[in-house]
Amino acid sequence: MFKKEEGDSIETVIGPSVRVEGNFVANGDVVVEGIVSGSIKTEKNLRIGPNAKVFAKISAANALIAGEVQGNIRVKESLELTNSAKIFGDVKTNVLSVASGAILHGKCSAGSDKKSKFEKLDEVQNSKPKTSAPVKNAKAQGLAEKVK
Amino acid sequence: MYLYLYDYSLNNQKYNRLLAKIETRLTDLGIGGKIFRLSPLRNIEELLNDEIKGGIKTIIVVGNDKSFSQIVNFAAKFNVTLGLIPVGDDNKIAKTLGIRSPEDACNIIAARIIEKIDLGKINNTYFLSNITINGGDLTIECENKYKITPEQQNEISICNFKPLFATEMNQTDYFNPKDGTLEILVRPLNAGFSHFFKKASQLKNSIFPFKKLSIYSKDSISIITDGQKVIKTPVKIEIVPDKLKLIVGKDRLF
Repeated sequence: MFKKEEGDSIETVIGPSVRVEGNFVANGDVVVEGIVSGSIKTEKNLRIGPNAKVFAKISAANALIAGEVQGNIRVKESLELTNSAKIFGDVKTNVLSVASGAILHGKCSAGSDKKSKFEKLDEVQNSKPKTSAPVKNAKAQGLAEKVK
Repeated sequence: MYLYLYDYSLNNQKYNRLLAKIETRLTDLGIGGKIFRLSPLRNIEELLNDEIKGGIKTIIVVGNDKSFSQIVNFAAKFNVTLGLIPVGDDNKIAKTLGIRSPEDACNIIAARIIEKIDLGKINNTYFLSNITINGGDLTIECENKYKITPEQQNEISICNFKPLFATEMNQTDYFNPKDGTLEILVRPLNAGFSHFFKKASQLKNSIFPFKKLSIYSKDSISIITDGQKVIKTPVKIEIVPDKLKLIVGKDRLF
């Protein structure tokens, strides 16, 4: 996930000796090893280290979480929770991977499909063209309205 | 038209032979020009102002990092090209610019590869390489969006060029004076020298690329720009993209 590719933008590293407060926005990859409160937003990858504490709303393209997060997480592509991860908040992602031992308290939504197979089947059946009788009824209704 | 500014320290006799050699080489290459010897009594800004009015387009500093950084602050205010012939001790900037020796510098000036680079600006002073802040209880406010508060004793540097202690950091990723950003580097002071070159210790450092920030502190803290000028907090620091035209060598580090 965090392999360097050509043209990668530079990485922001929040080390264990600093605390960041506010709306943190980065254009490149972000590595958190310290304390962050507020929000974290990046268009690229986010890695939260095992000793990091994040009290923030998170938004990223990909994320690997090994530390503690208190706040909602929204990841566009892939979210990986290691065995030391502690999440207290809702999670929304496309691909979710959870290692055994990870703690997750909150609503979890993974995958791009929003509806189950049965719901889809129902939808297909409902969208089939209906018999001619209702059409006639509709015409009759129209006439009745005109008479009125 | 070239203007050669000789550092005050080059008045020492030990440099006479080297300077004569440099002057001969410059004449051979057809890039000779006016020579001025800097002194503490001479006002550099006035001198540059007069010479630029007289048609000088290129200023070459003959000296070390200190003299070069001093001239950068003035040269940035005028639309001139700046070059360096490293003479004397403490010539780290020359390495970054791809200049290995005084002789090499003459050839580089003749080849005239010009790069436009970003400069940092702290209040109204330009800086080329970096700013250092030692300790103190301070708060850094970045891009008017978030605050960085050091939790323990740290050494804070704001870098345009790659600092020498950041030997293992990927040069292409950080500290590029052409990328339109400056970097804050926060190093915990208790990391110890023995851990200095270990890769794991890098995780203890914090690095934030930024364009604009302010530094506040309860007590006034000294900030040293390019190892020479001292400015007190509070300060505003920002990047000024493509501000300076520099003559660089092929082996430059950016």
